[in-house]
Amino acid sequence: MSTTSGRIRTAILAYLIVIVSLIFFILPMLWIFYTSFRTQASIFTGDVISPLKDYTLENFATILLVTDFPTYFRNSLEIALVVTMLSLFCSIIAAYGLSRFDIKGKNALIVGIFSTQMFPQVLLIIPMFLVLFSLGLIDKVIGVVLGQMILVLPFQVWMLKGYFDNLPIELDEAARIDGCSIARRLISVVLPVALPGIMVAAFFSFVVSWGDYLIVSIICQSQRTATLTLVVQRLGSSLLIRWGQVAAACVLTIVPTIILFSFVQNRLVEGLTAGAIREE
Amino acid sequence: MLVPALAIIVLFTVYPLMDGLRMGFTNRNLLLPSFEYVGLDNFARLPSDEVFRLSLSHSIILTVTVVVLQLILGLILAWAMQQRLPGMAFFKSIIMASWVIPVAATVYMFRFMAQPDVGLINIILRLIGLKDLARYWFGDPLVALPFIILLHLWRNVPFYGVAFLAAMQAIPKSYYEAAEIDGASGWGKFRHITLPGIRDMIIVMVTIHVLWTFNNFDFIYLATGGGPVNRTDVLPVYVYRLSWESYRLGYAASIGTVMVIILLIYFVVYLRIHERPGAAR
Repeated sequence: MSTTSGRIRTAILAYLIVIVSLIFFILPMLWIFYTSFRTQASIFTGDVISPLKDYTLENFATILLVTDFPTYFRNSLEIALVVTMLSLFCSIIAAYGLSRFDIKGKNALIVGIFSTQMFPQVLLIIPMFLVLFSLGLIDKVIGVVLGQMILVLPFQVWMLKGYFDNLPIELDEAARIDGCSIARRLISVVLPVALPGIMVAAFFSFVVSWGDYLIVSIICQSQRTATLTLVVQRLGSSLLIRWGQVAAACVLTIVPTIILFSFVQNRLVEGLTAGAIREE
Repeated sequence: MLVPALAIIVLFTVYPLMDGLRMGFTNRNLLLPSFEYVGLDNFARLPSDEVFRLSLSHSIILTVTVVVLQLILGLILAWAMQQRLPGMAFFKSIIMASWVIPVAATVYMFRFMAQPDVGLINIILRLIGLKDLARYWFGDPLVALPFIILLHLWRNVPFYGVAFLAAMQAIPKSYYEAAEIDGASGWGKFRHITLPGIRDMIIVMVTIHVLWTFNNFDFIYLATGGGPVNRTDVLPVYVYRLSWESYRLGYAASIGTVMVIILLIYFVVYLRIHERPGAAR
């Protein structure tokens, strides 16, 4: 039986962990947010707080109006949206097929699917680059999209398969007896029920694509396809780094992911680990 | 239905993998039109390649340290979040934010904080009188790798915490009540009820993160590029530099092949543990 003093001790310890966590995990984000509103001069004073006149919107104004930032933002958005749609289409088909159809050697196949997680992307991208190159897709949106599919698909198929496995098979059975085709069963019976899992899958692919550096650094060669991660890297690696602008670029890169995160946060972990956790 | 499923998987993982492995046996160069098979030449060269040896040991040290620390800190975080206290719901809802933001933003956020004069870390060190410790944290050969480990923790520990919490909440309350009647201590309950209860989730999180950390490229490439003087070089970063900065695709692919072999060994061990009789419920 826990005593009152024991409970107080537990609460103090828990709050201590919460405070340390907030400082460690959240403070860096607040700091970059804060920095994005400061002038170069006030950042370089090395002070934490500066006079009110040293706060400014200039960093955002510069990167939005003077640089090509808006173009890159649009590229990022376009690529991430196409990747999300294409990967969802592919992974839903693949995951449903693997989840619902009994074939010989299925277990070996599933181990095989899981093992696709372990292929190093830096290796996969080499043949992928050569294929895209011979197809003339380097520096094209579709080339980037196809490249990013190798980042997204293995995990997405695995997690969605787990999600479908947890849905009652009676659902499909009933629809099959009613004479529905496979496609019809999937679209009008399974998908509506699996919507929470699919939303997490969509979120996952969007965030992976949006944050990808590996593929875009190889396939994007001009501003036609360059994305925000490349801009952040370029701004942050120049000789005289304007940290206010780097911060503003970071903030604009972070904000869309945080907004999307707020829609799925309750279901995120459940969805991500569905591939492994069986409900009994 | 299964046919398109397999086609998709073959197209985006099996084919690039096979072709990548094949390339490890060639002297292919991105700038030269022709190439030939050189047998095991690439692999024979590896033991005398010092950067490879360094990268290999860093990769293994990094993966083991990161995953072990994440596991321990994740359990602590989950324990704290499990307590029903005011404000905890809000804390739980924001804590995973670090996992969703792009790695590039994370890295430059930390690069800024690590700056010698204007970085927050050094400002704080100066404030508390530890001026001598101030430095560019990614540029110091001694602390660069530990600092990279810190970045991995920053991104992933909340994910572990939230995942373990979800698993903990699925453990029936009656188990704990029964244990309390038997007079079990807090640690005893944790050791004999909580840990076995979240065993599956621990295995999953550890497995995913061993793979993700070992294969992770962008954290180190963006933070240090492998420097200072190869102190933070890991296999994925070395493969990337060989492929896209030296254009030696064949040699790069042979190192990629070594990575696949290491992960295969890990995978076999994982299956042994996972499929052990009594392990599955």
